[in-house]
Amino acid sequence: MLRHALLLAGALASTGLAAYPKDPYGSPMWDYNLERYLGEKAEVVLDDRVNLEVPPFAEDSSQVPLTVDLSGFDTPVQKVITWVDLNPIPHLFTYVPQTRVTVVSLNFRVQQATTVRAAVQDESGVWHVGSAHVDAAGGGCTAPSQASSDPNWEEHFGQIRGGAFSPANQSRLKVYVRHPMDSGMVGNIPAFHIETLEIRDTAGGQDEPLLKMTLSESAAENPMFVFELPDAPPQYEVWMRDNNGNQFQRQVGEAL
Amino acid sequence: MTRWCLILLAVMALPAQAALRYHLEPKQIAPDTWMVEGKTENFSKENGGNIVNTAFIVTDAGVVVIDTGPSLQYGDALHDAIRKITDQPVTHVLITHHHPDHAFGNQAFPERSLSALPETTALLERDGEAFSDNMYRMIGDWMRGTQVVLPTQELAPGPLIVGNHTFQLWGFTGHTGADLVILDKTTGTLFAGDMVFYNRAITTPQSPGLNVWQQELDLLAEIPFERLVPGHGPMVTDDRAFRQMHAYMTWLDALFKSSANRGLTANEVMRTPIPGRFDSIAEASYELIRSTTHLYPRYEQAALRMLPEE
Ligand SMILES: [Zn+2]
Repeated sequence: MLRHALLLAGALASTGLAAYPKDPYGSPMWDYNLERYLGEKAEVVLDDRVNLEVPPFAEDSSQVPLTVDLSGFDTPVQKVITWVDLNPIPHLFTYVPQTRVTVVSLNFRVQQATTVRAAVQDESGVWHVGSAHVDAAGGGCTAPSQASSDPNWEEHFGQIRGGAFSPANQSRLKVYVRHPMDSGMVGNIPAFHIETLEIRDTAGGQDEPLLKMTLSESAAENPMFVFELPDAPPQYEVWMRDNNGNQFQRQVGEAL
Repeated sequence: MTRWCLILLAVMALPAQAALRYHLEPKQIAPDTWMVEGKTENFSKENGGNIVNTAFIVTDAGVVVIDTGPSLQYGDALHDAIRKITDQPVTHVLITHHHPDHAFGNQAFPERSLSALPETTALLERDGEAFSDNMYRMIGDWMRGTQVVLPTQELAPGPLIVGNHTFQLWGFTGHTGADLVILDKTTGTLFAGDMVFYNRAITTPQSPGLNVWQQELDLLAEIPFERLVPGHGPMVTDDRAFRQMHAYMTWLDALFKSSANRGLTANEVMRTPIPGRFDSIAEASYELIRSTTHLYPRYEQAALRMLPEE
């Protein structure tokens, strides 16, 4: 009995807060955000195969491209979570894939120079974390969207452009949505942004979406989503919903 | 008492000023004409933003200054350098465009002499404060006391006569939407502003697009000149700056097009290696990151098709 308790305590200690690896970037938010997004007991390892790309500096703090490239991550993935350590709401997106997803890219807003993180959960539950740093003059989160000062924004609202591509024999999908993505952090402009996105397989007749994504307030205006799904058929349906209940659904065709 | 105060003030002011000082060396490039050549670097706390070319022409009716540099202190240093060369007062300050490295020394010159295309003044009014914040961040103390001063005189394309010099002005748009180009017909010196960069990568934050810029460069290249002073980089006496601009912009445009057609992400485009033939162009990798931010989204959108609602 006593031995059992000791073992349990030992197991807890080894997966508890103290077990997080040291942050190679030394961010003051490292432990806090790991605990917040992955959980106090999460098993976390640093992993170079989680290739997180951002530019070294943000030329436009309201549009900073972030790419999670998992082409070198050769084990199945349960879930991916990205966040921007020093943003007022750090979380950027979370997705759950049902097929191999090698690339996901999306622009974010940055409030100040910060580290960014991508945490990839493997099948055994372990989180593999990749990091990067972006320098920034800042203010991207508290700058109003262009749409909020454009009286004609509704003309373009919800317009969606898309395409399928085959760079290097991969199946890549790009979807560009005209949406203000107001964060709710600017003056009197209420939060108005896409919360959920799904990529569905229209060719294979699969019920579960190939990918389910949730987005937070750090996502930039007029998002340009890039997805690479090397093993899925190049015939998709993209579905999105914003926090005001607007739904958007489009077919994206064969690879070019 | 007053004298005491002055001495005290001078002593207090000394250390800061001694630490940060522009050493401007005007070089005579033509009769009556001096160029102050900046580095081909990016803004830094080391160079104080002395990364831009300014110039002045001493006519018999006053001095014509072309651009005022990145800060009050640069403007003062430029004005001092002019006073060492001539007793003529500065009567005309021609601001080629609203970028901070060209217009933030305005304060050092008489307000009534400050002249620009009206669109340039409007852009400076719109962007001046944001530029200023950014400049304080990039060059810090060199900016001390610098305030945005708007031009008071409107320039229009056409002739401008100042004393014994006759100038011809053009208004282009390729670099910022309002870009003044000045030919001093008296000496054959073409002051191209930032419409022309030489041995320094172009900057594109307010550019209407590479195509517009390139079309206007073709027009600019037809202006006959003895020597050309680019906005950044050394003076040239032949068409090499145009040839370099053309080659580099053609490469950049093709890179964005082909990348968009392959569905590449902005991050993938930003880390494209710069071809070796552009080795002489300073800051090309750095500017590729900036230009991808400014321009690539348009190429990306053009490579996608409108998806109809179901
Ligand atoms: Zn410029």
